[in-house]
Amino acid sequence: MFDQPKVLGMASALSANASARLTAIAQNVANADTPGYRARDAQSFQDSYRAASGPPMRATRPGHQAGFAGQTLNAVSERADGHMSPNGNNVSLEGEMLSAAGVRKDHDLALTIYRSSLGLLRTSLGRR
Amino acid sequence: MSELLGTLSVAASGMEAQSMRLRYISENIANADTPGYHRKTAPFEAVVDGGTPTGRVALGDVELDPSDLTRIYDPGNPMANADGYYDGSNVDMIVEIADAREAQRSYEANLKLFDQARQMSQGLLDLLRK
Repeated sequence: MFDQPKVLGMASALSANASARLTAIAQNVANADTPGYRARDAQSFQDSYRAASGPPMRATRPGHQAGFAGQTLNAVSERADGHMSPNGNNVSLEGEMLSAAGVRKDHDLALTIYRSSLGLLRTSLGRR
Repeated sequence: MSELLGTLSVAASGMEAQSMRLRYISENIANADTPGYHRKTAPFEAVVDGGTPTGRVALGDVELDPSDLTRIYDPGNPMANADGYYDGSNVDMIVEIADAREAQRSYEANLKLFDQARQMSQGLLDLLRK
């Protein structure tokens, strides 16, 4: 009964994933002029979430959702694509800005879900 | 949350490196007419702490551009040789201005990420309110 609702765990995992991705982006931007630096990417939330969920649970109805273990692993890997400049650096500032906007969107989404779920809990407790 | 604080320090290291770069550029421009001046360059280096890359960046040691100095024809100059030439600097204004623009652009990108990380951690802290 006092289990933390899964949606709160998912929201916090999404926010942690957004932080990890923002760190990777900041490292790329800081090293945008470092010769020989290869751009890095943190795992997308989809991938890290799927990896953390483990073997999929049996879904016998279309409305069933897969379980969620709680913690996700945000692995960082080197990016293979991207235009390589003559000094061996493949960071594109425009691409990083685009990813940063996506990260902000995900983080805001996570916070909104968290806040509204807390609101639901409070309502169920009869508070406002 | 600690991830976001790490992001702040990474973005700050980027801003520091870019502003140092701008400083060397301004030294070069200030000395564009100094006879015998070689332009300064400094390489960007990824900071490695105990074998693992931290993601931060720093400027390496200053190097002098070894390319040839421009020869200026001015027989009346005290430094002129028998042919009337003396050595100027090897600073190319266009290269320096282009470098300065690039430094400004990278600085702004770092600043934007710094601000975004700050706002995201602020959003997390706002959850604790009320």
